[in-house]
Amino acid sequence: MLKTQELQINIGPQHPSTHGVFRLVVTVDGETIVDLKPVFGYLHRNHEQLAEVSTYIQMMPFTDRLDYFNSMANNFGLAIAVEKLAGIEVPQRANYIRVLMAELTRILNHAAAVAFMINDMGAWQTPLAFGMREREKILDLFEMASGARMMCNYFRFGGIVRDLPPDFMPLLNDLMKALPTFFDETERLLRENEILLLRSEGVGILPKEVAASYSVTGPVLRASGVPYDVRKAEPYSVYNELDFDVPIGSVGDIYDRFLVRIEEMRQSYRIVQQVIERLPDTTGGHINPAMASIGKQKALKPPVGDVYGRVETPKGELGFYIVSDGSARPYRYKVRAPSFINLTPIGDMCRGHKVADVVVILGSIDIVLGEVDR
Amino acid sequence: MTVEFDRGKAYVVDRGQPKLRAGQGMIAGLDVVIRHFFSAFTKKLETPDETSGVFTVQYPEERLAMPEAFRNFPILLFDDTTGQELCTSCFQCERICPPQVIHMTQAVDPTTGKPVPAVAEFMIEYDACMSCGLCAEVCPFDAIKMDHDFELATDDRAGMTVRKADLDRPVSYYETIAPTRWAEVKDGAYKKLQGNIKRRSGSIGLSPRAATAPKKAAPAAAKPAAGVAKPVAVKTAMPMAAPGKNMSEEKLARLLSIRAANVAKAGGAAPAEAEEVLATADTDDVAEAPAAVAAARPVSSGGIPFSADNLLGGVPANTTMAEDKVERLKSIRSGNLARRG
Repeated sequence: MLKTQELQINIGPQHPSTHGVFRLVVTVDGETIVDLKPVFGYLHRNHEQLAEVSTYIQMMPFTDRLDYFNSMANNFGLAIAVEKLAGIEVPQRANYIRVLMAELTRILNHAAAVAFMINDMGAWQTPLAFGMREREKILDLFEMASGARMMCNYFRFGGIVRDLPPDFMPLLNDLMKALPTFFDETERLLRENEILLLRSEGVGILPKEVAASYSVTGPVLRASGVPYDVRKAEPYSVYNELDFDVPIGSVGDIYDRFLVRIEEMRQSYRIVQQVIERLPDTTGGHINPAMASIGKQKALKPPVGDVYGRVETPKGELGFYIVSDGSARPYRYKVRAPSFINLTPIGDMCRGHKVADVVVILGSIDIVLGEVDR
Repeated sequence: MTVEFDRGKAYVVDRGQPKLRAGQGMIAGLDVVIRHFFSAFTKKLETPDETSGVFTVQYPEERLAMPEAFRNFPILLFDDTTGQELCTSCFQCERICPPQVIHMTQAVDPTTGKPVPAVAEFMIEYDACMSCGLCAEVCPFDAIKMDHDFELATDDRAGMTVRKADLDRPVSYYETIAPTRWAEVKDGAYKKLQGNIKRRSGSIGLSPRAATAPKKAAPAAAKPAAGVAKPVAVKTAMPMAAPGKNMSEEKLARLLSIRAANVAKAGGAAPAEAEEVLATADTDDVAEAPAAVAAARPVSSGGIPFSADNLLGGVPANTTMAEDKVERLKSIRSGNLARRG
């Protein structure tokens, strides 16, 4: 019997598999992972503390920087929380535009997340280029509406900053023609690829019970077979008026996460279709008239109390817990970041697998370090 | 397992049947890639409703049109004809700025010692600005707006703290980058400006750019489309060597010819102006020349002077380009123009 010795190595803190700056302390026995401990905090930016010295509207651009892939979804979360706290109504049209942006964000994120995961497996850049191409078109739409591609800062309390520009809808309709081709193409490109199957089937299994006890959310939880989606569990905005299904996995391995993301893109596509159909008939402007001027936004003083507002971002449940003392600045502001919580069970997922699997498992969780460290 | 929701259900994704695999999946994937490979030679992706073809553009020669909403960094506006700044130093933008990078001081009337609705000094730390656009949104006088110029890369860190002289842009410039947005607020902005001008005296509130604009350029400046007749290079432009000091004869000649070509191109107008530049360059008076030189550096950091011509027609062709490259550039540009109508 060969005598082996356990060895502790660090993966990172230089961008392990280009997902951002963090460190994995891995204990290996030969090639096999015995233990794995993630170390975060390299990208800490004092997000929560900043909120305590900022007014509510000043926090809006900072939320863009949480999960910088999905700034629209982050804006949505803060807007929902503050509106709940201050009791602000949102007009129907604003709500539909918000949902449109949130679902486009989901398509954008999953297109890139799937592509990055495949990239981590070794399919260097080709699938990534396909994913990025569709992402680029959606970013163009965001730029047109909000003025920025990634740091959108588009939502305001009570609505959105500006109605859609006139040339937005034609471009969106063009995009909608292209998207089904993209989904099918991605599936054809990768779904039955033997290398992908070998690397992903049965790798990084996260059982239902473990996932729930870590309070994992988003596609990672759904791939483990728990049909939990904030859009269904606690419908916000106008999600209760829209038809869509929740895809779930059966095994909870990397392959399920991959498939769930592709299916979620299809469901988001369905939602966007319904929104485009209904948008011309919606009532109300792009913002609640009582909050229409930025001065009102700035002077917003919610009543004393606390609130937890949550939305389903592409990565999972993003929650904002805000305590108000009646002043213009939150007394306490806490972010429940899905990337952070989804990353915590990585040790359980990796144990028993090889070193090369760590990178793929990490890719399948789909994290953004801006949100993990805040 | 199926769970029914209100308006939807949960369904288990299809993992496919386990089957004998001998590379069919990889071949199917390769088929997709090969199709894209060939369409890259035959097809140009013009509209977003396609998924294949080449969709890159030849930046910086070729540029995509920017949406009006685009926001990069804040700029201050001043009126073309009077040179009066729209800013009244109400401190709204300074207060709302999330990273707190806007600083200003209010102008004071020297005779009475009372504050005037004008700004004495205005400073924005571009290096910490996060382009959120809240300042432009909050400004009640429409004096601060978001610029479209994004080519600001520089090695001069101190230069990223930008003062009023470099923040000022004429209203006509903003009109070229965001016509409908300016049309929405134009009347209100000018009305407020008229009221504020009455309370200003002397040179208070005059833009440093408008004040230093040479007299001879006045007729051209009156034409709104032309903007300031002599576009001043933004501060981030590299410092230009004064010609004639350590330059060889032929280098100087080449520099002057580049300047002349660019002035002719940028101004669209006066060959006389070009001669002026030539003349001034000869006498070491380079006060007006940097803009012309900056224009000769198409990809340099922020060295492109703002003018309607640059925004629409792209940067001027560098005279040192190879002949065939110039030809290709011309064809791309004419194509762009044709497409824009």
